[in-house]
Amino acid sequence: MNAVLVYFVRDMRRWIRGRFNVWSALIMPAAWLVFVGLALPTKFTDHYLDFIAPGILVLTMLSAGMQGGSSLIFDKILGFLNKFLALPSPREAILFGKILFITVRGLLQASVIMVLAVLLGATIFTPAMIAFAYGVLFIFGVLLSAFSTAIALYVEDHDGYAAINALLSMPLFFTSSALMPYSVMPPWLRTIAQYNPVSFAIDLIRSFAAPPVLWASLVGLVAVALLMVALSSFLFRRVTV
Amino acid sequence: MAAIETAGLTRRFGELVAVDALDLAIDREVFGILGPNGSGKTTTVLMLTTLLRPTAGSARIAGHDVVREAARVRERISYVPQDMAVDIKLTGRENVSFYAALYGVAGHDRVDEVLGIMDLADRADDLAGTYSGGMRRRLELAQALVHEPGVLFLDEPTIGLDVAGRRAIWTHIAELRERGMTVFVTTHYMDEADQACDRVGVIAKGQLVAVDAPSALRHRLGGERISLQTDRLAPPVAVEGARLVRREPDRLVYHADDAADAVPALLAGLASAGVRVSGLEVAAPTLDDVFLALAGRQDEGGAFDYRQFRNMIRRR
Repeated sequence: MNAVLVYFVRDMRRWIRGRFNVWSALIMPAAWLVFVGLALPTKFTDHYLDFIAPGILVLTMLSAGMQGGSSLIFDKILGFLNKFLALPSPREAILFGKILFITVRGLLQASVIMVLAVLLGATIFTPAMIAFAYGVLFIFGVLLSAFSTAIALYVEDHDGYAAINALLSMPLFFTSSALMPYSVMPPWLRTIAQYNPVSFAIDLIRSFAAPPVLWASLVGLVAVALLMVALSSFLFRRVTV
Repeated sequence: MAAIETAGLTRRFGELVAVDALDLAIDREVFGILGPNGSGKTTTVLMLTTLLRPTAGSARIAGHDVVREAARVRERISYVPQDMAVDIKLTGRENVSFYAALYGVAGHDRVDEVLGIMDLADRADDLAGTYSGGMRRRLELAQALVHEPGVLFLDEPTIGLDVAGRRAIWTHIAELRERGMTVFVTTHYMDEADQACDRVGVIAKGQLVAVDAPSALRHRLGGERISLQTDRLAPPVAVEGARLVRREPDRLVYHADDAADAVPALLAGLASAGVRVSGLEVAAPTLDDVFLALAGRQDEGGAFDYRQFRNMIRRR
């Protein structure tokens, strides 16, 4: 079996058997859907749930991806990484297995959120939309997990990682187009939101529900994701030799 | 061609010379490397397992250079660090299968075989989280053996284990040697090294100060070991022909060429200092004594240099 898949299966098994972790990560995005998506009185749309659902899907992936680096930190601290590095299989497989695991874990969590959104009354999720959303979330997940594993390579302990994660995740979410359209944002927020990579992913998914689809953004997102993977593997190679 | 060969192997961390021009040739034996904390044991192991680049010099494993042919080296070795890293949410069998897959070992037979060798067959399908410390260590050995490596690196394999657990690990290590494997092991436990290692190397401040069979090292120190049980921390009484090697709150240990001369003088000296001696033992020197004589007391040096320590950890 391919070494990337071997590492991936190990992480998936460990995660699924964790039981508590599997569900606890879903609480925050679910709360956003219910308490904000259903409850917030808005003027710019009469179906806020349909508006916010893509944002919450991306939020789910954002927290799953940014949190993912901690998995590498644990492997580093607990001595697994050194054992893996002494194995003859290609060392990059450790990193790619991690990126795949973090991304797939995020997709599984996003699926639950998607089901919840439909149950709550979201109408945008046609089969084609679901497929498109998965594609965007996958690319965005790869981008994030490559980024978070790169950080994890340089952070020494779990507390330091959690601090960096907190420092980045919430601002990235609130300065994106997740909660409101650009038209109702104050100008300063609009400027930030337009360049926020989180908005790119959200706008892409929304554009599929209300064409024209932003294909240029898709190409941009893929390019940034590839760049991030390249950077992450470059750093990984540098740190582990 | 020896299984492990090093020539002038050196590693610096900034100003600190962690390993200083190590020359070793190790083949089909259990080789123990002994040294105080920070003496360069782990740095040596990291270089030999391709996890750390040497600053100078070279090392070869089964004829392959650890820098230029790192992938080749990794095919022939196994490394078990001291952290005891097994996945507690996977079963014993899954833990081993995982390594088998990464080593490209096909089939379940070999997995079952190594689990059997390590006496884990009957618990193979239990989660490793339910294993005792000794079983977890044996599980790590099973992982390390799955691809039949020629050289096995063990960093403090018995640390934190109970007596039975330690004995089991050393018994297994001896069996591996019988199968023709070369085992490179770092340890703090001198009595264990004395019994289990064919040869030991004593390392101090990055330099190899002695390499020989444990019995030969003890013999080299010569003389006798005098241990005096005292009722309190005794003053370091000086006696001609005897050298103080250890001073503890209730014990003094001397090394003497001739105990028959030294003992009366020591007893007299302690009596005049007002110390009551409740026990006396004269024996051949232990590996502990050899170690202290060769490596000295190293931890008294300068203050603990945190920055240097962090750099070392980071560069691992």
